[in-house]
Amino acid sequence: MNTKRKLINVVALTLCFLTALWGLFWLFFIIFDVLRHGILALTPSLLLKDPTPPGIPGGGLRHAIVGHLLITFCATLIGVPIGILGGTFLAEYGRGYKISKLISSLADIMISVPAIIVGAFVYAILVKPLGHFSGWAGSIALAIIMIPVIMRTTENMLSLIPWTLREAAFALGAPYYKVIIQIVYRGASTGILTGIILGVARVTGEAAPLLFTSFNNAYFSLNMNQPIASLTITIFQYAMGPYEDWHVQAWGASLIITSLILFLTLIGKSLIKRGFKD
Amino acid sequence: MTSSFKREIFFNLAYLIITFLASFIIIFLALGIFLVLFKEAYPAIKTFGFLGFLLSTEWDPVKEVFGAAPSLIGTLITSLLALTIAVPTALGIAIFINEVAPSFLKDFISTGIELLAAIPSIIYGMWGLFTLAPLMAKYIEPFLQETIGKLPLIGKLFEGTPLGIDLLTASVILSIMIIPFTASVARDSLALTPPVLKESAYAIGATKWEVIKDVMLPYSKLGIIGGIGLSLGRALGETMAVAFVLGNVNKIPTSLLEASTTVTVKLANEFTEADKDIHLASLFYLALLLFIMSFFILALAKLLFLKIERR
Repeated sequence: MNTKRKLINVVALTLCFLTALWGLFWLFFIIFDVLRHGILALTPSLLLKDPTPPGIPGGGLRHAIVGHLLITFCATLIGVPIGILGGTFLAEYGRGYKISKLISSLADIMISVPAIIVGAFVYAILVKPLGHFSGWAGSIALAIIMIPVIMRTTENMLSLIPWTLREAAFALGAPYYKVIIQIVYRGASTGILTGIILGVARVTGEAAPLLFTSFNNAYFSLNMNQPIASLTITIFQYAMGPYEDWHVQAWGASLIITSLILFLTLIGKSLIKRGFKD
Repeated sequence: MTSSFKREIFFNLAYLIITFLASFIIIFLALGIFLVLFKEAYPAIKTFGFLGFLLSTEWDPVKEVFGAAPSLIGTLITSLLALTIAVPTALGIAIFINEVAPSFLKDFISTGIELLAAIPSIIYGMWGLFTLAPLMAKYIEPFLQETIGKLPLIGKLFEGTPLGIDLLTASVILSIMIIPFTASVARDSLALTPPVLKESAYAIGATKWEVIKDVMLPYSKLGIIGGIGLSLGRALGETMAVAFVLGNVNKIPTSLLEASTTVTVKLANEFTEADKDIHLASLFYLALLLFIMSFFILALAKLLFLKIERR
């Protein structure tokens, strides 16, 4: 009887070990595969040249890299201030009120709402009325995805600042907004930065919300009022396309995106860990 | 003196209002998305009704007849199959990290699993198309046909030519993507089990597995269910990873080795090409249904988490 129980114990715990291996196996399989294919495509011309006409080998992804940076940068410009300010309300002025609890829960839900829905929403409010796809629409879609992420991290990080610190500042006669800006923000600066990094990492790899908003562009463009190429949409187009050369470039683009995002995520996570140790 | 005091009050009020408006954007967005999708879908809602749209299997842009059944069924099959694979795995990982792994491995495995969630879905999709799909077609699917496929009833699910571009491949990819969501929630919930409970079970001679199965898992049940909800919400709305390996075939699948479609795949493929108003409205109708489904499931998960927090 006891041997049977011990046996079950060993078998079950071994199975748990195997599940962890299973998870890590896929992680390394994917990363290794992206590296293996991507490294071959990663040439200077991939980064510096614009694409050639379809089917003609050569060319690069300069248009998509610049477009992607531009869309993400503008999304960050829109999303970060709103996210931080909103998180400030939830953690400071609205602390303890029902409304901030509701907004905070809603933000948690919005973090996981399908990205393609956000794309359809922005299509309906921006692209359809204006009659054309645009880089701005893409940035706004990404900002919508970014805002709840940053808002929730900011809220959590501000809540970690001890209340006594604020009281000390109040006692000197400082108004609440000055306490927030000069004391609380300063104390939570690493945490807020972490939120921004994770928010940016989250949207950098998004393709679905860009499909209906910034769309695609085969040419180099800096005009945010027009359709603009992005790395993720280019990967989608190239990987589904018929040309071998396109597939190679899609792997190259995948390597760029994946390494950038994994890098940002690792920095964000290590900042969080360091923050909790202090 | 008084004027500077008044100014401070004004600035404080201004900052209060600005931050309030910024946080209010979340409510505005949630409501806005629902209302806008509803408004855009309205022509289709009026033409096809609710049940008529839900149950109809036709999707014909030429005849202008649209129905949601095949894509909804595709979404449900891929999501549920993915959950079936992912949930036991995620639980195993959570248990391993909490109870079995030596401490130097804990961080490594946790981070590794969390990185699975960071890899963009388009990368999963492309990797699925170029690497996993050929492997599935060549080795795994023929193997499944030879073994499970020979069984009565269940065997029917594995009929057809293994091409790799099918429901099974899509579900496998989805399952990898959603492991981290259940795993990290389950890990945190398991860690919340009071040590006293575990120790008293050990004291009466329970093995480690018995402690996990009879004490820790029941104790963290709510959290784990919430984590599964979170994963399901993600799986329903996943687009790019599935779009690569599912084709866009509008029919109710009879086997897991068939190309199919999901709500998201249909949206991704047809949205920018829909030139008729009723076609676009039907796509918005699909988007609305997806939004309601995933919002509802995610809200339930959130309610569970709140309940645990209060405990």
